[in-house]
Amino acid sequence: MPIEIADAAQPRLAKGVRLQTDSASGTSVLLFPEGIVELNETAQEILARCDGRTLNEIVWALAEEYDSDVAALAADVRETLADLQKRRLIELT
Amino acid sequence: MPATTSDMTAPRPYALLAELTYRCPLHCPYCSNPTRARNNGELTTDEWRRVIGEAAALGILQIGFSGGEPLVRGDLADLVRAAREANLYTNLITSGISLDDDRVGALHDAGLDSVQLSFQSDETGLADEIAGARAHQRKLNVAAKIRAEGIPLSLNFVIHRRNIDRLPQVIELAETLEAERVELANVQFYGWAFLNRAVLLPTREQVVRAREIATAAKARLAGKIDIFYVLPDYYETRPKPCLNGWGQRYLTVNPTGDVLPCPTASSAIPDLRFENARGRALDWIWRESESFNRFRGTEWMPEPCRSCPQREIDFGGCRCQAALLTGNAANTDPVCEFSPNRAVVDEALRDTNSSSSYRPDWTYRINPNGIR
Repeated sequence: MPIEIADAAQPRLAKGVRLQTDSASGTSVLLFPEGIVELNETAQEILARCDGRTLNEIVWALAEEYDSDVAALAADVRETLADLQKRRLIELT
Repeated sequence: MPATTSDMTAPRPYALLAELTYRCPLHCPYCSNPTRARNNGELTTDEWRRVIGEAAALGILQIGFSGGEPLVRGDLADLVRAAREANLYTNLITSGISLDDDRVGALHDAGLDSVQLSFQSDETGLADEIAGARAHQRKLNVAAKIRAEGIPLSLNFVIHRRNIDRLPQVIELAETLEAERVELANVQFYGWAFLNRAVLLPTREQVVRAREIATAAKARLAGKIDIFYVLPDYYETRPKPCLNGWGQRYLTVNPTGDVLPCPTASSAIPDLRFENARGRALDWIWRESESFNRFRGTEWMPEPCRSCPQREIDFGGCRCQAALLTGNAANTDPVCEFSPNRAVVDEALRDTNSSSSYRPDWTYRINPNGIR
């Protein structure tokens, strides 16, 4: 069973991981030793807000910006962050 | 963009391996550098800056500074800075020898993103014997300095017959040194390693045990250390998907400026003509040159690859291995069980696994003459 990420968790990029725009494609990518991950739009929008904000704050910020349902959004954000955490691309504090 | 007669569009490359020099203070017999290197002078700082700029313009996102030992170059920090200014993710692949506090600091200030530090074993005696130099204790100090500076650290171990039984202790060392990432790479047979194959190829029994240990460690350390286990391909029945396909994602520039689809191609495939960054733009070499197009895609493939459902999964394996073991780079990698040349791999395995006398008399790597 995956561990549920708490509302108060603060996701941040893991050490050695860089978020950057790929000028060739215009999309956001994560760069890390020997690896490149191209981000989909959801992951891109979430990671752009992983700057010390809590999961809860990120969800509300996105809900406000995109005028969408908080519960559905929260599930999306949790799923995306859990996937990134499993790949050690983010850390939770 | 120039018109081409081929309807194949070149893919976009992601990573550049910058082999800054073949000079190295270590003499590891498993080195994949060419045993005889062409001597026409190392690229200058300005030439490397131009290569880095052209690579970034081609779409490259990652650069690995390698060699030889890249620290031998006094301009390493300048080149790291140039790569960061071009928005590249910068990796230093190093033995760590001569990396003192000042240099670690200078590299970090230049924007170095990550260090991959090689180790030969977990214990000094064997490690120094393999390196052909007193290196192990210095490496331990260097690892601590990298940690103290806060640069992400990977440890790279090349595994072979002489150190494979130390795998549990090697993994313990990685834990002690608080590495984020560990590569346990079974030796691949190119360059000096090909020359020393009879000494380096592990036994089947060793390989089976190593795989169990690596698998268990991977599970135990999940979330703490990323462990990458590179398979001993001679013991596999299907070839490795070398480079994710020739001329698909990677390019290498060697110390004298030759632009290669892979670092071992220039010595393993002597009949292929490679272009030099001094005379040609990287973009042209990547898209148009014969060397990058020769094995691109699937058109070049002979049987059994041509009709194989795996052809876009393993790409026929490794062109260099095909050249070294069969004399023709266009053959199926003889590691493949369907290769008509599989017998050459089996013969090497039989020699290693049937002989009761094992003599660890390898040839140490020496630096190429006069390359500056």
